[in-house]
Amino acid sequence: MTFRNDHHQWGAVAKFFHWIIALGILGNGIWGLLMTGMSPSMAKINVYALHKSIGLTVLALVLLRMAWRLGDRAPRDEPMPHWQRWAAHATHVLLYVLIVAIPLSGWWFNSLHGFPLQWFKLFNLPALAAKNEHMAHVAHAVHEYLFWLLVLVLVAHVGAAIKHHVFDRDNVLRRMLPFGRPLPSSSDQGDRS
Amino acid sequence: MMSHRLRQLFVLATLALPFASLAADYSVKQPGSTLGFSDTFQGARFDGHFAKWNAAISYDPAHLSSSKFDVTVDLASAKTGDSDRDGALPGPDFFDTAKYPQAHFVTTGFHQAGGKVIADGRLTLRGVTRPVSLTVDFKPDGSGATLDVSGTLKRLDFGVGGGQYADTSVIGADVKITAHLVLAAK
Repeated sequence: MTFRNDHHQWGAVAKFFHWIIALGILGNGIWGLLMTGMSPSMAKINVYALHKSIGLTVLALVLLRMAWRLGDRAPRDEPMPHWQRWAAHATHVLLYVLIVAIPLSGWWFNSLHGFPLQWFKLFNLPALAAKNEHMAHVAHAVHEYLFWLLVLVLVAHVGAAIKHHVFDRDNVLRRMLPFGRPLPSSSDQGDRS
Repeated sequence: MMSHRLRQLFVLATLALPFASLAADYSVKQPGSTLGFSDTFQGARFDGHFAKWNAAISYDPAHLSSSKFDVTVDLASAKTGDSDRDGALPGPDFFDTAKYPQAHFVTTGFHQAGGKVIADGRLTLRGVTRPVSLTVDFKPDGSGATLDVSGTLKRLDFGVGGGQYADTSVIGADVKITAHLVLAAK
């Protein structure tokens, strides 16, 4: 496995970004849903601080990932019907948009509420907006609904990956698995230019 | 016939009387006077103030030994501009105003240090009394004056935000106190 992508599979950098961001989203999604029910306490302050730090990390990683994605050629599409190819790419674009928008909406919400924003107790980030309690409710709703939209899109994303792996037995999932080895693909035959 | 000891006391008292009146008594003008504090939360500074407090000020820069500050603060009147924090401050984890409604500061003496006047006193807060020193900046203004006082105290010395909130990497250890008093001659 090389750092860069090749024709058949994603490179180490693309895989790292994919899985570390997946882990961050999974953890922060679960944190995020559970923490709002906590009663005021130091534990709640710390859990929120962790949620914010992880969210900012995901935001930074996804921006780096998009830059890398633009600079590195993606593997060739696996053979599949045209509509599936189109749906897959549209889903990926939507995922990128949501993974940027959700942390940003959280940052916006945090700013409107007048809370400080600190990254793992190391440094503070500026507010995106002036304090506004009314708008904070709107921003919180935006943050949460965008998350539920992400969950829906992820059901399609993960469902499609499993469908390709289990039923189509192609390389769609294998080429992104951390230690996955793509099967020799029929599309490669006679296609080496 | 007065006993020897009583006579001594009488002489001392008559000597001390004129000195006691050397420092001028002032009343504090509201509005215009503020009693504020600031600390940090998650690396960001926040400012608060007390809406209700009383100060008896007797001061003369030339007669520091007879000067005196006596300040009582209604702790439930603390406001920091954040509803969550303002809701938590009077609670048992912080000021515990149900048990300790007031803080009290009284000077025990004044001294000069580096061209500045320092008021030494005792602060009673949340049932704990400790020495606290404040820097005094007194500016006569007509018959009145302005008095700016500032100092720093450690919140955990008084058990403010002890227990689960004791982590000073989240809530700063040092609380800065600033008071601006507009004084009118009594």
